Amino acid sequence: MTDFSEGCGQLCRELKAAWAIAKKDIRIYYLKPNIIVSGMLFPLFMFLAFAIGRDAPPTLLVPGLIAITILFSASSIEPVSIPIERRTKTFDRLLSAPVSLHSVVLGESLSGFLYSACIALVPLTAGMIIFQTPLVQPAALIAGILLTAFCFATMGTLFAAYPTESPGDIMSMLNLVRLPLIFVSGVFIPVNALPPIGQVVVMLSPLTYGNDLIRAAFEGSTHFNPLVDLVAIGGFILLFQLAANHLYRKFNE
Amino acid sequence: MTVHAIEAIAITKKFGDLLALSDVNFSVIEGETFGFLGPNGAGKTTTIRILTGITMPTAGTATIFEKDIVKETIAARRQMGIVHETSNVYDDLSAWHNLMFAAELYNVPRSVRERRGKELLELFGLWERKDDRVRVFSKGMKRRLTLAMGLVNDPRLLFLDEPTSGLDVQSNLIIRDVIHDLTEQGVTVFLTTHNIEEANLICDRVAIINQGQIAAIDSPERLKKTIQSVQSVEVAFDPPSPDHLNRLRALPLVSEVRKEGDKFRLITEDPATVIEGVTAYAREHQVRIISMTTIGPSLEDVFIKLTGLVPRVKGVKVID
Repeated sequence: MTDFSEGCGQLCRELKAAWAIAKKDIRIYYLKPNIIVSGMLFPLFMFLAFAIGRDAPPTLLVPGLIAITILFSASSIEPVSIPIERRTKTFDRLLSAPVSLHSVVLGESLSGFLYSACIALVPLTAGMIIFQTPLVQPAALIAGILLTAFCFATMGTLFAAYPTESPGDIMSMLNLVRLPLIFVSGVFIPVNALPPIGQVVVMLSPLTYGNDLIRAAFEGSTHFNPLVDLVAIGGFILLFQLAANHLYRKFNE
Repeated sequence: MTVHAIEAIAITKKFGDLLALSDVNFSVIEGETFGFLGPNGAGKTTTIRILTGITMPTAGTATIFEKDIVKETIAARRQMGIVHETSNVYDDLSAWHNLMFAAELYNVPRSVRERRGKELLELFGLWERKDDRVRVFSKGMKRRLTLAMGLVNDPRLLFLDEPTSGLDVQSNLIIRDVIHDLTEQGVTVFLTTHNIEEANLICDRVAIINQGQIAAIDSPERLKKTIQSVQSVEVAFDPPSPDHLNRLRALPLVSEVRKEGDKFRLITEDPATVIEGVTAYAREHQVRIISMTTIGPSLEDVFIKLTGLVPRVKGVKVID
């Protein structure tokens, strides 16, 4: 019983510390110009580049815009904040605090998650008003937005583990992954319209499953079983969290 | 029974082929102020990073109040406050938010952290500026805030990495007063400093580390006694002239002469004979002796001898 309450006490302390880290990031980084550009303007221009002149239905375009907005906004905070904090040595404050590395990773990811979940409301609202796309499965939309945001926020934290003091170094590496993901996730071309090899490759992308859930919110059906989408995104979150934890430990040795 | 605040047990740290620390052993008793001195690259920062659980040792371990820093990292860290060498505060947060964030990381309850935060900001003369962003603070104010953040969890053990380096007089005095008060309250202080005189004044014991190995550990006075051969006579002449430097070197039993400001320091094993020589020298060259003092070996002399560093010309010594 004592071990159990001690365990609960420690878990509570860890979650509070993670939330404190997230609050700190929210206060400091949400309005930084490079985060606004990377998290909001970049996906908008990407969307315009693909959408203008194409005869695609709104039920494909709106979920696509929401998905890439989440992809870019969720993974934009930590690749900027962590290198800056390495440079100012404030990151050492987190590494030497009486909390586990998991909580540091979780706290950092939380700020990207909240940022992205809020930003996603912009294309969602705009899409529903401008394109008048009806929302048929709100639960799928909420699950899709929240899980995809958390997944890519954790991916951003994972990339930020690379021991550099320059945000540009991490952004360059991250874009090598983020940009191809747009093309292999069924965002602008439905998965079932891809060639057979493409349909295999999309299964390796976490964006595929998030996009599938978000599209289901507007189209009423998913390409994969919704449970597969949920489990796949959950698996990617776990993988990114564990990998981030390992890399932060390794690079601090 | 003696309680050890820190016990470093055979710590070795390698970075690739580079041996940064080699079999480092020492202990710090609860309530002690322990100085850690060494030239750049000697292993001071690596030692602190290992003792605070940021970096893992390649071999060996350390305990903080009997909690193993490798196996019980979180429990060990709860006992300590850390003031890093750089004033690692968040420039875009106010002093108050910086302090509250540090308290939240250490799970200090809200009511306690708000009371403690006010006390600390008042103690460090920052209460009036609590809502200002730290970006506009001076170097000294940032340093004081960093120290306040290190104390917000009421630690039993405080790591201070270069607490007063390059600070203004006001900040320096405040920080030294606080360290003095902490030691009176029984807080254990582990201090690294470039300022050897500061270590001499503050520390109960000091360790000197060089090339990743502990060269000596003892109280400042006992360390000085180990090199009684490095006594000196300090003399000032009127009129002052740099020409005295070379002439004084020729006096019997003088092993070295350093110019230190308007004074000359003559290193010798026999101060009495040198005093006679200096008096004769003043008569011969028709200069007046303004002051003459015999000085025992300083902690800096011990440091120089143990680390093998050499004094630079014009009396400025290479200590870091």
